[in-house]
Amino acid sequence: MNVRKRSRSALRLAVLAFFIFLVLFIYSSLNLMNVDLGYRQHELLRTEAELRLEIDALRARRAGLLSLERTERIALQELGYQYPAAGQIIKVVEAVRER
Amino acid sequence: MSANRKGKQRFFALSVFFLIWILAIVFRLFSMQVLDYTTYMAKIRAQTHRVEELHSKRGTITDRNGEILAISLQSKSAFISNKDGAHALAVFKKFCALLPISGVQKVAISKRIRRGEKFVWLKRKLTDEEYLKVKPLAADAWTAGTIAFLDEYRRVYPQGQLASHVLGGVGIDEQALGGIETSLDHEIKGRGGRLKVLIDARKRIFQFKYLEQPVPGRDIHLSIAAPLQFFVERELAAVVARYQAAGGAVIVMDSRSGQVLAMASCPGYDPETIWNTPLPVLKNKAISFLYDPGSTFKVVLAASALENRICGRQETFNCHNGVYAVRDRQITDVHPFARLSFDDVFVQSSNIGAAQVGMRLGSDRYFATIGRFGFGRRTGIRLPAEENGILNPPHKWSGVSLAFLSFGYEIAVTPLQMAAAFNVPAAGGFLVRPQILRDGATDVGGERVLSASGSEQLGEIMTAVVSRGTGKKAQVAGLEIAGKTGTAHKIKAGRYAGSYVSSFGGFFPARDPRVTLFVVIDEPQGLYFGGDVAAPAFRAIAEKIMLHLGILPGPPAVSEVRL
Repeated sequence: MNVRKRSRSALRLAVLAFFIFLVLFIYSSLNLMNVDLGYRQHELLRTEAELRLEIDALRARRAGLLSLERTERIALQELGYQYPAAGQIIKVVEAVRER
Repeated sequence: MSANRKGKQRFFALSVFFLIWILAIVFRLFSMQVLDYTTYMAKIRAQTHRVEELHSKRGTITDRNGEILAISLQSKSAFISNKDGAHALAVFKKFCALLPISGVQKVAISKRIRRGEKFVWLKRKLTDEEYLKVKPLAADAWTAGTIAFLDEYRRVYPQGQLASHVLGGVGIDEQALGGIETSLDHEIKGRGGRLKVLIDARKRIFQFKYLEQPVPGRDIHLSIAAPLQFFVERELAAVVARYQAAGGAVIVMDSRSGQVLAMASCPGYDPETIWNTPLPVLKNKAISFLYDPGSTFKVVLAASALENRICGRQETFNCHNGVYAVRDRQITDVHPFARLSFDDVFVQSSNIGAAQVGMRLGSDRYFATIGRFGFGRRTGIRLPAEENGILNPPHKWSGVSLAFLSFGYEIAVTPLQMAAAFNVPAAGGFLVRPQILRDGATDVGGERVLSASGSEQLGEIMTAVVSRGTGKKAQVAGLEIAGKTGTAHKIKAGRYAGSYVSSFGGFFPARDPRVTLFVVIDEPQGLYFGGDVAAPAFRAIAEKIMLHLGILPGPPAVSEVRL
């Protein structure tokens, strides 16, 4: 009888210990996950900010490369082009063509 | 027995020792966790908690088609953490070997290091190329503790000097120093924020919370069209150089909406080095240059005369063969005329005829029209340092003021005020407020200052100025232009001097106006008449605008238009 009682109380203790362990395990796992998510979230935000800065830098570079000042310099100095003299640009009027 | 007793004693001693040891640990833990909780918590917080200041990035400024005119990029700024003067100087020398620094700056930095200042800037806002050159210094064991880099934003103007007076510029700390950067600074600069972070032993952030969310600066879309601005600036610079003028200004406006498509002021400057630019160069002549408008102001006189119906358009005025006296002052015409019709007074730009029209009109009616056309007050364009102009009320006028005001003297205006006034007949009689932002009004608004018929008649007179009058050099093949020339003596030290301001304003196509254009050349040498200096510049710019906006004549009389 005593042995039975003892084994039942030991089982209760074991179950209790298991639940305590389980609760602690879940609690600590969640905390660890939380910390890990914090790392990842910050890393992603940092990457996003870096990408935004890179996009801005590329946009600025593109604008600089396409700037009219640069285009004019290349055309005049490197390619030897000249501005057209008066009367050299001819724009054909569509309305006349249609007639 | 004795051995057993000894063993017990040893066990007892060991137990006491362990008990004391455990008690000591418990006490220490209790002391740390409970008694000195606040002290240790503060230490932990200092190591793991940090509040980071988040700097806001200035908004990007673009032209009306989204082309970037100003943008902020992240850059590095190099500084010295001066713990040991001699070492810091040696590190600085190494820095100079990699990245040349001007002699003046070198001396100033060396002085600051020798004085023992703990934090000394070496060079702020390095370009990418510069940073790549000096970056290894931060990794080198010998220099690493002494030299370091901070992140800062650097304002970049990728189009160079384009629209410099409209954009303005910023200082080394991104403080606005002129142009739209100043007038919209509160919107462009945004607001910084604060981030509370938790960091680990490796200084990696694993938890954060915004104490204050940063607000990025608003992007600004100007009404300026970059290609037009470019051609306008080129043409203005060419005219200023050709006539060795002191400067000039050009304004191109959308006649219907009042949006400024181009605004140029010569000489220009590089916005990235605005702090090195002399003050007179920084002045945006389009809004800050005050001058007597001369004959271009006859447009306002004509508008007033037509609106008040003081005479018929074919009625003639005695032009006294080019010389006429009003009280003790003499009024002259460049070309003498005996009599001119009302229309021809303006077409031939007769000062004597204009004075007679003005005197018949009377000071009150003329002053009322001048006020309605927006003179004597700012146009309200969102740019800083716009001048009001000078317009005295009639009770302050002398006996000759009305006559002289009739051909544009005794009043000071800005080129933008003149452009807005020239836009009145183009906008069907409405005074449209000039706008520098793309997202403003998109169609005719504002106050009606001239009736529809008055506006139409004024347009006809201005068209005749270009087709057969003083503005012939503004003619563009296949495009009907309405305009008016102006040549005015310039006031220097309170007196009219021997220098001039040449101007030409107008709009096109005359029958269905889309663009209003005003050109002012300050102190041209040699030729100085508006019809000789400003009108050809107007034509050159109008040709470019035609191509850019695809403005072509209605039913054409020719099969091709040569530009």
